[in-house]
Amino acid sequence: MNKDIFQFAVLFLVMVLVQVLICNHIAIFDVAMPIVFIYFIIRLPISLGLSIVFTLSFLLGLVVDIFSDTPGVNALACTLVASLRRPIYYAYVPRDDKTKDLIPSISSLGLGVYGKYLISLVSIYCFLAFSIEYFNFADVEEVVLLAVSSSVLTFISLLAFDCLIISKK
Amino acid sequence: MRNLLNFIIRYGRWFVFAFYITISCLLLVSNNSYQQSIFLTSANLVSNSVYTGASEVTGYFHLKAINESLQASNAILENEVLNLRHQIDEYKTILADSIELPPVAKRFDYVQATVINNSVRHPRNYFSINRGAKDGVKVGMGVVDQNGIVGIVNVTGDRTSRVISILNETQHFSVRLKDTNFIGSLSWRGGDPSIAYMEQVPRHARYQAGDTIVTSGYSTTFPADIPVGVVMNRIHGSDDNFFILKVRLNSDFRALSTVRVIKDEYKSELDSLQSFDFSPTK
Repeated sequence: MNKDIFQFAVLFLVMVLVQVLICNHIAIFDVAMPIVFIYFIIRLPISLGLSIVFTLSFLLGLVVDIFSDTPGVNALACTLVASLRRPIYYAYVPRDDKTKDLIPSISSLGLGVYGKYLISLVSIYCFLAFSIEYFNFADVEEVVLLAVSSSVLTFISLLAFDCLIISKK
Repeated sequence: MRNLLNFIIRYGRWFVFAFYITISCLLLVSNNSYQQSIFLTSANLVSNSVYTGASEVTGYFHLKAINESLQASNAILENEVLNLRHQIDEYKTILADSIELPPVAKRFDYVQATVINNSVRHPRNYFSINRGAKDGVKVGMGVVDQNGIVGIVNVTGDRTSRVISILNETQHFSVRLKDTNFIGSLSWRGGDPSIAYMEQVPRHARYQAGDTIVTSGYSTTFPADIPVGVVMNRIHGSDDNFFILKVRLNSDFRALSTVRVIKDEYKSELDSLQSFDFSPTK
C-alpha cells in the first residue's frame, strides 16, 4: 500500500511538471493541446474512496491552475471529471468482485475497454475545461474545435505514455 | 440529531464534492479582480523556482530571432542619435553662442527582466518575469520589449512579478495612430497571438494600411510614442460613429525573452493631481 501511495505521489508530481513545463507550450495547428495531467485521475484505483478522489483531483487541478494562471478552470473540471469516473468505468466494465479493486490500465482492462474509458474521460475533460475557460456562447465553434482536437491529441499521447510504462516493466 | 449525523456520514463525500466545486467557482469568478493573492498566481515562490530552472534551458531557444530584432532596433536608434547629433551641430553653427539649456529631470527609468514563463493559448494570458518588488517593480507598471509594448504588471512578489499580456481579453491599452491625434483602445480577442484590434477610432480618422500604431502617453503606464503594431485593415463595428482597425502587433509573443519594466518617476505626482478633488472650498 505504501508503495502505491509513493508511486501515485511521484505520478502526481511528474504529471504536473510535464503539463506545465512541456505540454502547456504545445498547440499543434494552434488548436490541439495535450492535457496530459488528468492521467493521474484516470489511473487512481477504482475502489479508492470518493472523498479522497475528489480531494486529489481538486488539488491536481488547483496546482496546474496556479502554474498556468487559469484560476479555477482546471480545479473545477478535475473535480467534475472525478465524480464521473466511476459511472464511466462501470459503463464499460461489468460490476463484479473481479473488477472492483483494479487500477485502470491497458494490462488490467485490455486495450479495447481501457481505450473507451480513456477517450470518454479525456473528451469530457476537454469539453468541460474549454467551455469553463471560454464561458461564452459566442465561442461555441472555437470551443468545440479546441476540445475535439485536444481530446484526440491527449488520447494519443496518453496511450503512448501507457505503452511506455508497460514496456519498462 | 442522529438522523442528521447519519445523513452527513452517508453523503459526506458529496459535501466534499460541493465544497471543492464552490471553491473552484469562487476562484473562477475572482479571476478578473486586479489585485490577486500572490499564492494563486504563477508568480509565487514554488512555481517561480520551477519556471526559472526551466527557463535556464529554454531561454536559449529564440536567441537568433531576438538578436536580429535587437540589431534592427539598435540600427534605428543609432540612426536617430546620429541625426539628432547632426541637427545640434547644424544649429550650433547657425547660433554660435546658444544659451545652455537647463537639464530636464529624467522621467522614465527601466528595469530589465527576463520572461520565465509565457502563454499565448488562453483567452486570458499572463507571463511571469524574474524581477519583483525588491527590484522596484510595482503593480500597474508598463512592460515593453525591443519591438514594442507587451503588457502591464499585475501581481508582484519579492523577486518575481506576473504581467498581464496584451493577449488578455480583459485588458485594454490606450493607443494612437502615429502622427495624428486619433486615439483608440487596443484589445485582443483571442486566436492569433499577432493580431489585435484598435477600437473606438472616430469615423473621420484618416489612416492607411501599414500605418504605425503607438502608445498615446495618456497614462503613466507607458511613455508616448512606443510602437505597438501596424494597421492591417478596417472592420465595421456595431457603432456607426466609430470603426475598428485590425492591427498586427510588433512583438512576437511566442518568443518573448528579455523585457523592460517602465518606471515613471512622475507617476505619484500625476496620480495625486488626477485624484485631486476640485470641490469649491467655503
